[in-house]
Amino acid sequence: MTETKEHSPETVAEPMTWEAELQEIGLVRRIFLARRWYGADWWFVTISALMVLGFITIALFPGLFAPHDPDALVGPRFLAPGAHPDLPVLVMTVDSPVNELIDLAVPEGQPRPAVAVVQGVPTGSALNEQAQIIDDQIKNEPGGLRLRPRIDRYPSLEEALQAVVDGNALAAVVQTTEFEEIASQFPTLRTGESITGETATAGGFILGTNDIGQDVLSRLLWGTRVALIIGFSASIVALVLGVPLGLFAGFVGGSFDRLLSLVMDSLYAFPGLILAIAITAVLGPSMLNIIVAIAVLYIPTYYRIVRGQTLSVKEEVYVEAAKSIGARSLEILQKYIFPNVIPSVAIIFSVNVADAILTGAGLSFLGLGLPPTIADWGIDLARGQRFIQTAWWMITFPGLAIMLVVLAFSMMGEGLTEIFNPKLRER
Amino acid sequence: MKSTKWFLVTSLLIVVSMILGACGPAATPTAAPPAATEPPAGTPADTIIIGTTDAIASFDPADAYAFRDWEIIKNINDGLLKWQPGTGDQLMPSLATDMGTISEDGLTYTFTLKDGIKFGDGTDLTAQIYADSINRLLTIGPDCPNGVAGALATPYLASVTAPDAKTIVFTLKQPVAYFPQLLASATYTPANPNNFPADECLLFPEAPIYGTGPWFVSQYTQNEQIVFEPNPYYTGDLKPQVSRIIVRQFADPQTEALALQNGEIDIAWRVLGYELFGQLKGTPGIVAETIDGGSIRYLVLNHTMAPMDDPNVAKAIASAIDRDEISDTVYGGQVTPLYSMVPPGFLGAQETFDAMFASPNLDKAKEFLAASGYTEANPLQLEMWYPPEHYGAETAAWMQVIQKQLEATGAIKVTLQAQEWSTYVTALTGGESYAIGVLGWFFDYPDPSNYLEPFVYNGGLGTNVSLAKEGTDYGEPINEKAQQLVDLLNQAAVETDLTKRAELYKQVQDVYAELVVTLPLFFNPEYIVYRDYIHGSDLFSTPETLNIAGTIEFNYSTLTKTP
Amino acid sequence: MSPIALIALMIGVPAVLLLAYVFIRGSTGLRHYILTRIALTLPMVFILATLVFFVMRVLPGDPVRSALGPKGSPELIQQIRGQLGLNDPLIVQYGRFLGDMVTLDFGNSLIGGHRPIVDEMSERFPATLELVIPSSILALLIGVWGGTFAASKRKRTADYLWRIYSVVIYSLPIFWLGLIMQLVFGIQFGWLPISGRIDPIIGTTIKHITNLYAVDALITGNWAALGSVLQHLVLPTVTLGLILSGVFVRMTRINVIETLQADYIAAARARGIRERILVYGHALKNAMIPVITLIGLQVAILLAGAVLTETVFSWPGMGRYLVERISSRDYTAVQSVITVFALLVALISLAVDVIYSLVDPRVRY
Repeated sequence: MTETKEHSPETVAEPMTWEAELQEIGLVRRIFLARRWYGADWWFVTISALMVLGFITIALFPGLFAPHDPDALVGPRFLAPGAHPDLPVLVMTVDSPVNELIDLAVPEGQPRPAVAVVQGVPTGSALNEQAQIIDDQIKNEPGGLRLRPRIDRYPSLEEALQAVVDGNALAAVVQTTEFEEIASQFPTLRTGESITGETATAGGFILGTNDIGQDVLSRLLWGTRVALIIGFSASIVALVLGVPLGLFAGFVGGSFDRLLSLVMDSLYAFPGLILAIAITAVLGPSMLNIIVAIAVLYIPTYYRIVRGQTLSVKEEVYVEAAKSIGARSLEILQKYIFPNVIPSVAIIFSVNVADAILTGAGLSFLGLGLPPTIADWGIDLARGQRFIQTAWWMITFPGLAIMLVVLAFSMMGEGLTEIFNPKLRER
Repeated sequence: MKSTKWFLVTSLLIVVSMILGACGPAATPTAAPPAATEPPAGTPADTIIIGTTDAIASFDPADAYAFRDWEIIKNINDGLLKWQPGTGDQLMPSLATDMGTISEDGLTYTFTLKDGIKFGDGTDLTAQIYADSINRLLTIGPDCPNGVAGALATPYLASVTAPDAKTIVFTLKQPVAYFPQLLASATYTPANPNNFPADECLLFPEAPIYGTGPWFVSQYTQNEQIVFEPNPYYTGDLKPQVSRIIVRQFADPQTEALALQNGEIDIAWRVLGYELFGQLKGTPGIVAETIDGGSIRYLVLNHTMAPMDDPNVAKAIASAIDRDEISDTVYGGQVTPLYSMVPPGFLGAQETFDAMFASPNLDKAKEFLAASGYTEANPLQLEMWYPPEHYGAETAAWMQVIQKQLEATGAIKVTLQAQEWSTYVTALTGGESYAIGVLGWFFDYPDPSNYLEPFVYNGGLGTNVSLAKEGTDYGEPINEKAQQLVDLLNQAAVETDLTKRAELYKQVQDVYAELVVTLPLFFNPEYIVYRDYIHGSDLFSTPETLNIAGTIEFNYSTLTKTP
Repeated sequence: MSPIALIALMIGVPAVLLLAYVFIRGSTGLRHYILTRIALTLPMVFILATLVFFVMRVLPGDPVRSALGPKGSPELIQQIRGQLGLNDPLIVQYGRFLGDMVTLDFGNSLIGGHRPIVDEMSERFPATLELVIPSSILALLIGVWGGTFAASKRKRTADYLWRIYSVVIYSLPIFWLGLIMQLVFGIQFGWLPISGRIDPIIGTTIKHITNLYAVDALITGNWAALGSVLQHLVLPTVTLGLILSGVFVRMTRINVIETLQADYIAAARARGIRERILVYGHALKNAMIPVITLIGLQVAILLAGAVLTETVFSWPGMGRYLVERISSRDYTAVQSVITVFALLVALISLAVDVIYSLVDPRVRY
């Protein structure tokens, strides 16, 4: 960094102050002051670093932020963001003695009372669930009452209500607002209690629910974990393999270098996604396999950069000098070459994390990535694609999430490149 | 620099002139494109465009076995018998004058051809040509690349002969109760000798492809489209109502649905998912209908593998499942719960599983589990397998619902395992790898036997109720109940009396449910969605589904268009 | 002549001419370099193809099982495997595969219609070309203009806006962009078709010569078809082009900035030459060489982007073909596509290198 400062206008104005200040102040302050040199690039890096930190926090503790279990079926399907679920309510004739679910209980052995529900809405399963809960409570009580209503399914709400009017069913369980819309057509019917005991304002979902009633927000937050695990693991594996190979090849040279470079170049030149598709197809769907598939793609990136830098640093006078006074190879690698490649490795790493997340999402979109029940953005996007016209929120939010995370990492890489790339230094 | 530029320009010129040279002469004789230059605001009045995601795999009746292939073959080819359009259970004569005569022993079927039947290119259809075509199926069918079509003939047919120009005689190896159904399939339609060589399979003959049916294929581009035009020599009762049908292939259902909304296609027919169906339903100008199809989903239980070798576990699962919930929460009520492997409408179908288990019944499920020592403290660990894509992307969703239902017993812990299709199907049907997994089935011929035998005989596609054994057709039943099941199935297969046959299949279903050989879940209706100016002919029973019924036969001839 | 042969000629003839020209005119060092490159390229393709061959065979799946599903009895599966030659010893199959590769025959597909792979590719490959060529041009236009403009306004608002553009574009999942394009322009406004390469009715009138529909329509003078082809091209091209342009903006910007710092530019600036001329006349011209080279090397990004774009827009190209065939375990199709891709990538990078060496006399080998 020190060689850059003399190019900055401020430094020209008061060079001594800066130098003195730099000697005395701490790291945090130094980073903060650096914004004067780098202007918007400093902001690029800082903002993206904060974003990255935020995402990492979410990824570490998704449970703290997520209102629900990402896998649980917690609400009705396709509930729009912020909308309230339509509560299942008991409907019966005006003169019926039935008012709540427990009134449908009958002594063991008697015919089960019929309850009408509508196909395709969750009232039937809500009824089943609630009846089971109540039944578990009452079955050991004296009186031998059991709550096991017979559920009759009707294709439409009108038909279900008509069944109650005609006496074919003792009651119906329907959705409150849907019933209210056509209640005037059925003057002999009245509503009873909500069977779940919830109120109309309960259980909204900030980002809505998906096609089977999972909470989109919770899946989004848990998805951060999956995305970052894939992004980081793949990049770290690639780094751990690529950097030493590059150092070694660059340092040793010879036919080993040539052979390895050929392999790496062919790997590098080949379309990454296509290679990843082939690898995941071989290994099968799992998180580990997707990480391996993506890591393989990035090994050459590290290899090429590190090898190139090693080659050029090796030629530097001070390295030659160290060699001539008898420094061992390992020492030279450690002391002179390794520190020189760290900045570029850091940049590649941050760009690779971004790229790995994108590639992972692409694989999931093609149905080749992770097991489809996992809370992952790519999976959710592929899932949402099928409902793009009915449930825009299912595709919008995972898409945005991918974009923001990728943006954070690539912006950091972009800013760092601008700061570190010697070719871009102003003269 | 300069010379390089010139070099590049020159080489470019060379290439362009080469191409023009190569194509110029070929281009000149091309007739001006027929009236197809109107803007694509809707489709032309005389043309109906059908969108699909199915690819055509073969035009050869001796080879074709895929759904779409059969549909195409049956529109360009008539068989001796056919299904009455719009029905799923009524056979009627087509090329034959009547339903044929059956000998006393059930081994000989005799048919007489109608007069004046010609292929679309003018060739007369003689009894000999028909017999040759079936013999071609018997000899080369098993060696065709798809290799399955022959399996609808070789196990049943001993010989086919043409004693005179109009008479065809089939001799069977043993009585087959469903032989007329087989005769109505695409496999038994006559192949045009001018399109298909006698001694080898030809999956993709040069267009035009002519048959005895109402249409012929005038041109096609694989993976893009197939164009049908009316067969000038067709004399049957299914006369084409429009002058052109185009079947256009889409890479995915989403695009197919959008194309329908945009008016780029008139009909979206297979394979729209329930979600797209739900989206399109209620769109102005669009009609969306469901057809109760024969495509079922069920759980395969491996009866020789722990923990499914314990009958209590199988019964507990059968008691805990709530099929209605699957339909409601995953499919928005668009699939129908299935309580027997034989879908409703088929001979002898009855809802045995409902009668026997009345699921969901958690109390009963808990009892079964407790009987085998599984409790909340010592839950049954279950690995359930499924293919992520093959049965639709929603498979994972309903597997999650099933997981929730089983875990509601408190004594089962389910781990869901996804495995890519080709690996999955090998492992599951091999009967050695997975204790429980999901499969789908679609009939080969519409008959109850085709919904029961495959899951019992010879390993039963991984159920192992009758272990596969060399040299036997049925394998070795693993217990007395399984033996009883095999015996009943064998009896029913040769029974030609319909009432007795139905009765036998009812008994079969009872034993089947008691064993929980497989666990039927639901059947997937087929969805057909079309623009409101398309109509199915009112002459047949189900014009609203464009006369597609349970056999899922689509006669393009019943389609009309009123712009 | 088959479309694939025509296209091979279109690409191959200029390539060979170019190579021959360079070879004759170039220095000994250059000649040596080209020979080495060719000698290295072929084993590279060979290694990749061999790898794919064996990897596909150790996959647990099987094309026959995959196609038949639960309907295949073991006997039937064995019989069909036999017909397809899948029961032969691996080494025999490998020999056959090598033979097919050398003769560029590729064999027959193992599923569905069992068509020759060459036939399938002569439908798929032109589709991909027709998508990637206009996309690259669009990306190049945006990239070069935007990058140069950003470089000329370095550290000013316009520069930062262009940089943000390139980062944001890079961060967009391409399939998401495609879907939103479809929704907005196809469904909401109904301006453009959202799927396929050509209107199905007009498609019946097209004459398949190169299977590049735009070219076919142009040389047969079928204007209705040309219009339809162009309409269908818009959305996929814009989607893929936009995504690519992000990378291109970035590369151009960096290279132009580098060039602007060269001594001769400083000298020119000192002579009072206008900044505009400096940037667009001098710097861009000189920066173009490395830019074009770098962009030539982006063929990998291009092909990967094409896979996803083809999926979203139902575009019957090579990427879609590969994805489809991997899942049905169509060994021959997969290994052929990968081999062709490898060949393509190798050839393009070779060509880029050679052109680079030709136009930049500073490069010495």
